[in-house]
Amino acid sequence: MIRVVDLWKSFGAREVLKGISLDVPTGTTYVILGGSGSGKTVLMKHVIGLLKPDRGTVLVGDVDIPKLEGKELTEARRMFGMVFQQSALFDSMTVFENVAFPLKERKRGIPAAELKERVIQKLSVVDLAESVLPLYPSELSGGMKKRVALARALIHDPQVVLYDEPTTGLDPITTEYVDDMIVQAKQKLGVTSMVISHDIASSFKVADRLGVLYDGQLAAQGTPEEVRRSDHPHVKKFLSLWFEKQ
Amino acid sequence: MIFFAGEMLAWMVRPPFRPELVIVQMAAIGVGSTFIISTTGFFTGVVLALQTNYAMHQLGAEGYVGGTVAVGLSRELGPVLTALFLVGRSGSAISTELGTMRVTEQIDAMETMAVSPIQYLVVPRLLAALAMFPLLTMLFNFVGYLGAYLIGILVAEIPAGPFIEHTRTLIDTKDILHGLFKAVIFGGVVALVTCWRGFAATGGATGVGEGTTRAVVTSSIAILVVDTAFVLITVGSGK
Repeated sequence: MIRVVDLWKSFGAREVLKGISLDVPTGTTYVILGGSGSGKTVLMKHVIGLLKPDRGTVLVGDVDIPKLEGKELTEARRMFGMVFQQSALFDSMTVFENVAFPLKERKRGIPAAELKERVIQKLSVVDLAESVLPLYPSELSGGMKKRVALARALIHDPQVVLYDEPTTGLDPITTEYVDDMIVQAKQKLGVTSMVISHDIASSFKVADRLGVLYDGQLAAQGTPEEVRRSDHPHVKKFLSLWFEKQ
Repeated sequence: MIFFAGEMLAWMVRPPFRPELVIVQMAAIGVGSTFIISTTGFFTGVVLALQTNYAMHQLGAEGYVGGTVAVGLSRELGPVLTALFLVGRSGSAISTELGTMRVTEQIDAMETMAVSPIQYLVVPRLLAALAMFPLLTMLFNFVGYLGAYLIGILVAEIPAGPFIEHTRTLIDTKDILHGLFKAVIFGGVVALVTCWRGFAATGGATGVGEGTTRAVVTSSIAILVVDTAFVLITVGSGK
């Protein structure tokens, strides 16, 4: 479904991505694990077409994302839903307006009753009640914001959901809740998911496949178990810090 | 900024059109600025009348105070001061709001939802500024002239007859249109600069603050530069 092929990207003299290649089969979750500044967000921005690579490409289905411009790129983005690190909810809008926004913009003239029904249905997927509809983002907890952000990402039934550091800054209980939410979105809706994270525990919990990004390259990738057995010195060091604690 | 302006103009003529967002922005720029524009307009008119009267008195031409104030307000002070006050009040708000949306990834989020942030956020602000700057300039001019009339009649003791009569003689429709046309241009300049600075914000609160400061400074200078160029072209050629 998603195929990243020999992706290179530099900002000035700094090479951020150095020949990344990976495959994410339809209906599975791929986690890019890596430390701060390893290029995870840059990689994700290439997938959704927010950045253009210096070399290589990203294929989503048959669509060659870097080759698209303007209206075609806008159309292609309808395949995606994205959950941002800080949720990125529109703070001038209520929960209802936030979740309804992508659908309202895509299907202009959608009847109000249908719109409300869809919003309530997606909120129920992330275990939020109708009572949150009139609230503003400033009135929500961090965990609730993430859930609203996921409901917003799912409202138009995307084929692919991208998660940017979904558990950063959350307490352990909310982190577990968000992990379950990602797994449930995949199981209930069959979406293909790509997660970038530095949270080792969460990554191993939600991933079908996992890649460890280090110095602009994938130091290891495979199933969580295969990555855990990797001989790459950085991967061993990175993972051991967490596994030794367990 | 040129690329940004090009995108802004391109998205302005492309559907979907969002009149409801333009109305919201017109209310934010216009209705919210009524008090400051009326107040500053009144005091500007008062001061301008007193200073003009000081000079005219030496020539024994106090009756021309009203006309001189009306021409000065309509052609120059009305559009320029209104634009400068709107930069401080509405331009800074636009830059801060868009800058905050940029650094909290709200603009990126909008882009990933296949909605153009330029079309959704910038175009309504541009259209609202193009409409509201001349309207508020008219308010500034009206209240300014009212202030000049009151101070001229009540304090400077200029007879009301010559005050109004010479205003009719001196001012022409083209003077008013000259000022309003400049106001439209200033509206476009302020919307462009403040939206562009907001979109270019980086970092966190500091980046947003710096962006807003730059937006206000750049807009204010741009207004005076554009005004000078406009006056050189029009008045310099005797129009």
